[in-house]
Amino acid sequence: MMNSMNNIKEVEDLVNKTVKVLKTENIDKNQIAFEIEKLEVHRLLTVLKNTGWIQLSYLSAIDWPDENKFEVVYIVFNWEKPVYIQVRTKIDRGNPVMESILPIFPGAKYYEREAHEFFGIAFPGNPDYEKQLILENWDDIPPLRKDFDPSAYSARKFPSREYPQDFSVKDPNNKTLEKTEERKKRAKALRVGGKKQ
Amino acid sequence: MDENKKYPKSSIFKPLRHFKYLFKRPLSHPLDTVLTAKNADYLNKNNPFRKNKLKNSQPRTGPDNLRGFHVNDWEQCIGCATCEEICPTAAIEMVPRHDLPLVAGKLQQRPVIDYGRCCFCALCVDTCTTGSLKMSKEYVFGDSNPNSFKLMPTEKWQDHEVELGYQKSEVTDLLDLKRIEMEHVSPEERVKSYIEVIRGYSKEFAKLEASRCVECGVCTASCPVQMHIPDYIRAIWEDDIEGGLKIIYETNPLPGVCGRVCTHNCETACSIAQRGEAIAIRWLKRYIIDSAPDEMYEKIFSEPVSEVINAKIAIAGSGPSSLSAAYYLRGLGYTVDVFEEKSRAGGVASFGAPEYRIPDYAVEKDINFIKKIGVNIYTNTKIGKDITLEELQKKYDAVYLGTGFFSARKLNIPGSDHPDVMGAMDFLPITRDFARGAISLEDVNVKPSVVVVGGGDVAFDVARNATRIQILKYGKANVKLTSLETLDILPGSDDEYLEGTEEYINCFLGHGPQEVVLKDGKIKGLRVTKCTRVFDETGRFNPEFDNTQETLLEGEQVFFSVGQAPDYSYIPESLKDKVIIERGKIKASQDGQVAGLDWLFVGGDIFRGPDIITGVSDGHRAAVAIDDFLYNKSKKKEQTEYMKNVREAIKFNNPDLALKPERKRTLK
Repeated sequence: MMNSMNNIKEVEDLVNKTVKVLKTENIDKNQIAFEIEKLEVHRLLTVLKNTGWIQLSYLSAIDWPDENKFEVVYIVFNWEKPVYIQVRTKIDRGNPVMESILPIFPGAKYYEREAHEFFGIAFPGNPDYEKQLILENWDDIPPLRKDFDPSAYSARKFPSREYPQDFSVKDPNNKTLEKTEERKKRAKALRVGGKKQ
Repeated sequence: MDENKKYPKSSIFKPLRHFKYLFKRPLSHPLDTVLTAKNADYLNKNNPFRKNKLKNSQPRTGPDNLRGFHVNDWEQCIGCATCEEICPTAAIEMVPRHDLPLVAGKLQQRPVIDYGRCCFCALCVDTCTTGSLKMSKEYVFGDSNPNSFKLMPTEKWQDHEVELGYQKSEVTDLLDLKRIEMEHVSPEERVKSYIEVIRGYSKEFAKLEASRCVECGVCTASCPVQMHIPDYIRAIWEDDIEGGLKIIYETNPLPGVCGRVCTHNCETACSIAQRGEAIAIRWLKRYIIDSAPDEMYEKIFSEPVSEVINAKIAIAGSGPSSLSAAYYLRGLGYTVDVFEEKSRAGGVASFGAPEYRIPDYAVEKDINFIKKIGVNIYTNTKIGKDITLEELQKKYDAVYLGTGFFSARKLNIPGSDHPDVMGAMDFLPITRDFARGAISLEDVNVKPSVVVVGGGDVAFDVARNATRIQILKYGKANVKLTSLETLDILPGSDDEYLEGTEEYINCFLGHGPQEVVLKDGKIKGLRVTKCTRVFDETGRFNPEFDNTQETLLEGEQVFFSVGQAPDYSYIPESLKDKVIIERGKIKASQDGQVAGLDWLFVGGDIFRGPDIITGVSDGHRAAVAIDDFLYNKSKKKEQTEYMKNVREAIKFNNPDLALKPERKRTLK
């Protein structure tokens, strides 16, 4: 068996020969990632499957709202050579459509349903992609989009309750906490922005 | 691996093997070992069929590190609300507890946890500044009333002593307890000149230090002017220097000075200092001032400040309290004239504190802005000589006195009348003038070996100044410092002691001076005896000495730094019986208004003392009090909306008296 560095090198050569790679990232000695064009994903996955990367380990997405893109990530694994290959591609966030890979990896069926549920990505070619999987009767934007506000959702769905017990001990003349609050507001009003971290 | 052995062979009869469990004792825990006494009681009473079944309930304890219900030690808890801030399910709410004492470094509030929301993730425990919030091994809580699931953790769980489960460790602690190191000029280098010892933070380091702050705000009540500390630290973290500068100028018109020489009670009160090193609040303030270009100062007031109230105020002295009063009075719309006897303004910042702590350019940056908004400063004008207090009373509508403690005090021991025995306040202004090149090295009277008496910051200022002058003059230093107090009760700050000893000062702590020993008209040294106690049982200053343990500290010169005194010679005969002076300080109302002389206000050392920032707070309070006194009886011009807001802000930010935090001693 060859050592892992040779494996990575071999994978790199294979992928570069097959498709146009936009970006390569060496994650560690057992894992390498390639960013490619959307239309070449199926070709690359087919070639990888035929070369030994027979297992689809993972399929998910990342939201990049600033770029207005979703990044779909496929991770495939080879039981002979210990190298995980990540295939990444960026698709339009406004109209997120990614053709299903069911014909190549039938096991992707549930992954694609999950990605649709949490990001709203459509997978034509997968007959069930719109069926609900985990979230029951979801009535908001898909929850793993970065513009989803979990606390607003929870405030809407689970209104906070009033408890009859009151643990406070209040002195009506003591205004220290209120004053601190007022001061905070005033100081905040003086800010001119700056870069948020 | 052999494929056949990897998984066991399957058989259609396999499920039958489970029948054997029919005759075994169950492994699950019976209820009486699970429930707490309280729950068991409840079931005993309410079970209609089997009353008292759980009478002998013996609850089993949960495993180690279990994330069960919280316990919170109220003795330690400071109400900082970091637990509320971090809670991902918004289960924690701080409720006011005004029954707790209002003390420095603590807020009168405590956390209440809604166990309907809590997910037991323990982030609150990991972020707790004091380590008071912990989790117990209790995990069962039942009640028929859904309203009872909101609980206030105290030291006990449900009034029972319980075993502790999850507690944070060094690994899980979310707080950075170590301060980002500040670069100091090396001792060998800095004693050769008056170069500033502290270099100041770079942008990256300032942001790192700012990121340690949890924004709890327990510090603000300890600041005499109640600066918006968490807010300007956040501004640094977000790289918003302009916002930070504006926030700072809301409450402190001398930030460049205070960013360097403040007593920083805020850092003593800091919640991070409960277990680690306090946020370097003073140096972060300095970072904002150092990084703010001159043009940015125009944004503090976006409209020019002008007189809108037809009233004039005279200010005697130009130290921190006077400049603060002048700044706020000007912002309120008055004509302000400041009179300073010395050649430059700044008082203690320009003539007391040493150049290596606070260089002239930093003082000037602050003062220039105060001048720029229209405060007139007349230097070389001494009250009582160039202009009398009576004249001021006639010409002006109100007078503010901030003349400070600028006279030296000496101990009355044999030999202390020798010309080479000097007081700190006689010596420090000379060193400052020397550092700025106003007098030559030959004219500074420092002998090759000196003894400094005193244990406060000023004594270290004297000693470190003497070291620098000796090295310039003679090439080597020989400075001894002696104080009544030993290291554990030394009034000077830790920084001064550490930096001073690095600069070759020999400390003889815990000794009392008895006599300046003279020989042939020259000083030979200082005779000291061991000091057995400084304070008596009631805490009063009442030193006792052991005369059998005597030492002679050799030196050709002695400096006394045993306190400063005021000079009230400018108060004319006509007012002498109206101004009441108690223990050197003028008696006045909380805002500094002198009783019986409603036009006369005082602040700073001559009123409250003892430090720069308290002086600034006196100035602010007096400015608001002067406005209350004059506003209604003066003619006014129409004011712009913007300047009306400034007026309101100055009144809103009028500081309360600060809470004094207890100083933690680290040096032994």
